[in-house]
Amino acid sequence: MKTVIDANKKSRFPDFKELLRYKDLFRTLAWRDFRVRYAQTTIGFLWALIQPLVTLIILNLVFGRFAEVDTGETPHILFTIAGLSIWTYFSFVMTNSGSSIIQSQGMIKKIYFPRLVVPLSKAVVGLIDLGITIVVLITLMIYYGVMPSINIWAAPLFIIMGMLSALAVGIWLSALTVRYRDFQHVVPFMVQLGLYITPVAYPVSEAADKLPHWVMTLYYLNPMAGIVDGFRWSLFGGSAPSSMMYLSFGMVVFLFITGLLYFRKIEDDIADYV
Amino acid sequence: MFKGMKEEVAIRVSGLSKRYEIGKAKDGSLRGTLSSLFKSSAAQKDEFWALKDVNFEVKKGEVIGIIGKNGAGKSTLLKILSQITKPTEGRIEINGRVASLLEVGTGFHPELTGRENVYLNGTILGMTRKEVESKFDEIVAFSGVEKFIDTPVKHYSSGMYVRLAFAVAAHLEPEILIIDEVLAVGDAEFQKKCLGKMKDVAGEGRTVLFVSHNMAALEGLCTKGFLLKGGHVIGEGATKSVIDQYINLGSESFHLDLGSVINRKGNQKKQFLSAEWHGEGASTVNKIKSLRNIILRVKMSDEVDLNMSRIDVGINNSRGDRVAWLSTDMLKAKPESKTLFDFEIDNFNLSPGVYNCNFFFQEKNELVDWIQNQFQFEVINSDYFGVGRSFPENQGNILFNYRLK
Repeated sequence: MKTVIDANKKSRFPDFKELLRYKDLFRTLAWRDFRVRYAQTTIGFLWALIQPLVTLIILNLVFGRFAEVDTGETPHILFTIAGLSIWTYFSFVMTNSGSSIIQSQGMIKKIYFPRLVVPLSKAVVGLIDLGITIVVLITLMIYYGVMPSINIWAAPLFIIMGMLSALAVGIWLSALTVRYRDFQHVVPFMVQLGLYITPVAYPVSEAADKLPHWVMTLYYLNPMAGIVDGFRWSLFGGSAPSSMMYLSFGMVVFLFITGLLYFRKIEDDIADYV
Repeated sequence: MFKGMKEEVAIRVSGLSKRYEIGKAKDGSLRGTLSSLFKSSAAQKDEFWALKDVNFEVKKGEVIGIIGKNGAGKSTLLKILSQITKPTEGRIEINGRVASLLEVGTGFHPELTGRENVYLNGTILGMTRKEVESKFDEIVAFSGVEKFIDTPVKHYSSGMYVRLAFAVAAHLEPEILIIDEVLAVGDAEFQKKCLGKMKDVAGEGRTVLFVSHNMAALEGLCTKGFLLKGGHVIGEGATKSVIDQYINLGSESFHLDLGSVINRKGNQKKQFLSAEWHGEGASTVNKIKSLRNIILRVKMSDEVDLNMSRIDVGINNSRGDRVAWLSTDMLKAKPESKTLFDFEIDNFNLSPGVYNCNFFFQEKNELVDWIQNQFQFEVINSDYFGVGRSFPENQGNILFNYRLK
């Protein structure tokens, strides 16, 4: 094996081959986070259940009972948990990968590995929580006697889009946080705001009816807008998602590629910055 | 294969420099970047070159000791070679798989068990899970914590923690191993085990780069040394000669101008002017290797006739206890009147540590000059017994030159 370190040569793109060589580290880091997450808590994994459930109940009260948003044939609570499952995954991965580089600075200063492994590994950890909420979702579907729609084949695609979207934002944030600690304070704000500007507890049609077209264009620049809407469509059917969904998809691809490039740009200096 | 090609190069470093910018430019705040947009880019940036134009070659199988004071650039060099940080200038070629140990137990998580941490740490250090699995039993046996392998490491004593961490590191099988001071861990027995393991590694024909302040370990392990100072490689060659060069670094500060000491007692008719340590090569030294011969040179302001007077030098340890005393009064043969006196000391047998001196001069039973607690000097380990180990610091002030029969 020959390694050349040259101050004047710098690749613009991440080294995917190398990333592949570090797949075991990727697995181990994900597994560590998973193991450590509820260590020393009395109720352990129940926490992964309680947090989305409480949010679900609040959203159901506010949007379903007080504001009485119209979710058609689907009960509001079912409607909301479908959106919430993928949104919670997104916000979890975004938050954790965003802070991941800073959190593992001890390691980063002492050993070399492709730094991208760190934020990427968070996407796997979040899948466990996603799995748990999906179990709740299925339970509720059975309880309400709701059959999955014929669009169900598309559900995995939307989940994959959700992963990409979370990573796209997460990779951007992890790199930006290294450079500017200010972003540590931006993330909780983004999570809070995102819950309202994403159609989690209300259908997109409610927003589309009341807002002008150009605002809706901005609305779909939120990568999760199209994904949450589409995921729900794949579960419960109904009218097909707006073609503006492709705007969200475009954003995911754009953010993901630029995120990788920006991350690569600062990667070599991370150990000097943190 | 041609014979001439046998001496393969493991690492070739050319024109290597690393610059750090201190201050505003990289403080990582949005405000800093925003405000720098409006200022001229030439705004004062403090630059600091941790390494400057470093060139060297390491052949396969060489065990290199990297020596230098704190801030000489050793750690930066290791970080660049380990790819943790990028050089500002220059080029490095590395032939072979590298493992670097800049600390033991990188990534260890207190909540995880010993077993889990072995896997975690192993993969962080670049092993595959399979490799860790195949060496797992060996690692645990080496660490000696078999009984607690399924206990979370937060319950480990620091000794156990370090032993397990080192055990993982010791079972990496890289072609090139980069190590920073990791031997400074654990108890004496474990240190011995570590050194033994390192010797094995070196003996297997692997290339090792080793940074340490432990001269005995360096002397015992390394085939070659590099001396760094101020970001430059200022010495290269046989370990022993590079260590000597290091010891002599900054010898200018080691001549003590006793004439300028204000706090002194006596009638001051005559004074101590200076004191110096001289090594075997007659050059001044600022660190004394234990169990080597050394000369203490004391210079007086006027000629002194030792038949009517005496010079005493007391040596105190860092706690202020007197550990040794040199007095002209105790000697039978006295030189004629002169101003310069050399105390030749054989096998300087104080253990490593910091000491200082009292200087006492009496003429015709009258106190002339007395200086207390000045002339601090350091005694460092030398690998006198050739075992690559140093005497522990807490085992007394005196070293015996002993052998077993």
